[in-house]
Amino acid sequence: MSWPQFVTVTLNGLTLAALYFIVAIGFTLIFGVLRVVNLAHGSLYLFGGYVGWSVADRTGSWPLGALAALLAAALAGLVLEVGLLRPIHGQDLREALVTIGVSIIAADLMLARWGGFTYDFSPPEAITGGVRIPLLDIGYPKYRLFVLAFAIVLGLLLWFLLTRTRFGMTVRAAIDDRDMVAAVGIDVQRLFVLMFALGAGLAGLAGVVGGSVLSISSGEDARYLLASLIVVIVGGMGSLPGTAVAALLVALVEQYSLALFPTYAAIVSFLLMVIVLAVRPQGLFGRAA
Amino acid sequence: MRPRVLGGGLVLLALLSFPTWGSPYFVGRVFTPAFIFGMIALSLCLLAGYGGMVSLAQMTLAGLAGYGYGYLTVTLGQPWWVGVFGGLLVATLVAFLFGVIAVRSTGIYFLMITLALGMVVYALANQNRSLFGGHTGILGIRPPELFGQGLTERVPFYYVSLLVGLLAYAFVRYLSRTPFGLSLQALRDDPRRLAALGFHNALHRVAAFTVAGFLAGLGGLLLVWYNGAISPTTIDLTRLINIMVIAVIGGLAYAEGAFLGALVFILVTNFASSFTQRFNTVIGLVFLLIVLFSPEGLSGIGLQIVRALQRRLQVRLAPVERAGME
Repeated sequence: MSWPQFVTVTLNGLTLAALYFIVAIGFTLIFGVLRVVNLAHGSLYLFGGYVGWSVADRTGSWPLGALAALLAAALAGLVLEVGLLRPIHGQDLREALVTIGVSIIAADLMLARWGGFTYDFSPPEAITGGVRIPLLDIGYPKYRLFVLAFAIVLGLLLWFLLTRTRFGMTVRAAIDDRDMVAAVGIDVQRLFVLMFALGAGLAGLAGVVGGSVLSISSGEDARYLLASLIVVIVGGMGSLPGTAVAALLVALVEQYSLALFPTYAAIVSFLLMVIVLAVRPQGLFGRAA
Repeated sequence: MRPRVLGGGLVLLALLSFPTWGSPYFVGRVFTPAFIFGMIALSLCLLAGYGGMVSLAQMTLAGLAGYGYGYLTVTLGQPWWVGVFGGLLVATLVAFLFGVIAVRSTGIYFLMITLALGMVVYALANQNRSLFGGHTGILGIRPPELFGQGLTERVPFYYVSLLVGLLAYAFVRYLSRTPFGLSLQALRDDPRRLAALGFHNALHRVAAFTVAGFLAGLGGLLLVWYNGAISPTTIDLTRLINIMVIAVIGGLAYAEGAFLGALVFILVTNFASSFTQRFNTVIGLVFLLIVLFSPEGLSGIGLQIVRALQRRLQVRLAPVERAGME
């Protein structure tokens, strides 16, 4: 691999890692706090993408579309949690099955509403076009760098929220001992709903941010559900740093193998997952169950 | 016990004679696929009902058997029995491999890992051209001809599917009563105690997953004969989940449930699709309602009704019996 190619591939890996992080973080937050395996996470991503596209198309404003995606997916998550998941809280398998049912219905309804077309976003001019990277003299799309920066800021914000705010501390306490938190007079249910809405909203936002790197079409829900699954399995479910490290690892390994031996690239992330599971079944940063 | 034997006999008789009185559409397009998908769902019932391992990769294993058959017979031009043997071998070996990978996780983690494994095979099938035929898959797959009868014919294929389905069903029922099956159920209920008794838990799990892979492979072979082709669509997320939907609708804990669920699933998709395009929504709603309101599926509902009827009958018969005693 030549030096400019190496830099480009690395940047592609970092961008993809950023995207994986943005998609998977909502999944792992919901799992970490509520122990719910939300298999409708990919559907929330796609829903956010569609809503964001529709709003951006009507208003001509990409940021407005992103905001609408965040809110719409958060609302959908709220309805899902309060309407369907709360009555069966604590029953892991049934919760997973309910989210499977929701993903089936959601995929079908979205197909009915938005059809099988591919939708392309046009982000604001400030973040489109190419940029020349100084010293190396290679061009790189601005938008991809924006995604990278966005993921870093998002990760830092969430880290701040979880470790430095009262809300975050209560959430982490509730993860460890739900009954004790409830006993000191905190409304645990409201806490959980907020976290679910946050995780769902992030999935929706990812639909616009990620959808703008590539595009949005029916079937993307499965793709991003798989990406989230692999990232959180490798990183350790429910762990914020684990998600970040795993997203980096999975994406970089994928991009390097795509450049070095394209035929077998599809199974490399899988091999990575197998190796991690063989050594640490709870994932890199996960706590033993 | 006797009413059950009688009921089973009647169902069997009805199924055996079905091609003589049933409409061709129901024989070929409803019951035959119900046996096939029922068999694949049965492999999930074996894992989930007896072993407590809810796998989403059963359709993947079935699909791999189909790919193995297609690759050997179409791409390499081998005779059908080589395809059958190779297909089953592939499904069983990959199941063993999946089992080894997933064995240390349980419950919801097992579900996620098998889902990820299944999706990876899907991605691989989509990308790879030399073995899997890429996006188009493998076309023009022909079922074997037995005794001069092509299996493509509706009625012979119905009977072959029925026979294989019955054998698989009988095997699972038999297995559940063997020492292996019993320790599997014990493993589901209390793994720590079983380990303390000196059982090798991981080995049991992997063995069960391998056996289930073989069963799924059988279903996969029939499916590839039924479709005459295989492509990544056969093993995409929707199809993986359909098997779960079938097993849950029928009742994960009942071997009969797999076939019942498949029949209901096919009926709902076929009939809903004749009056609405949104038949997936209908299926999703049926699934959701069953998960929310009847964890034991239709088999569970059926059993509850039978028990309630029995209780009613007993109450009514009780005074008569007492009168006879006096």
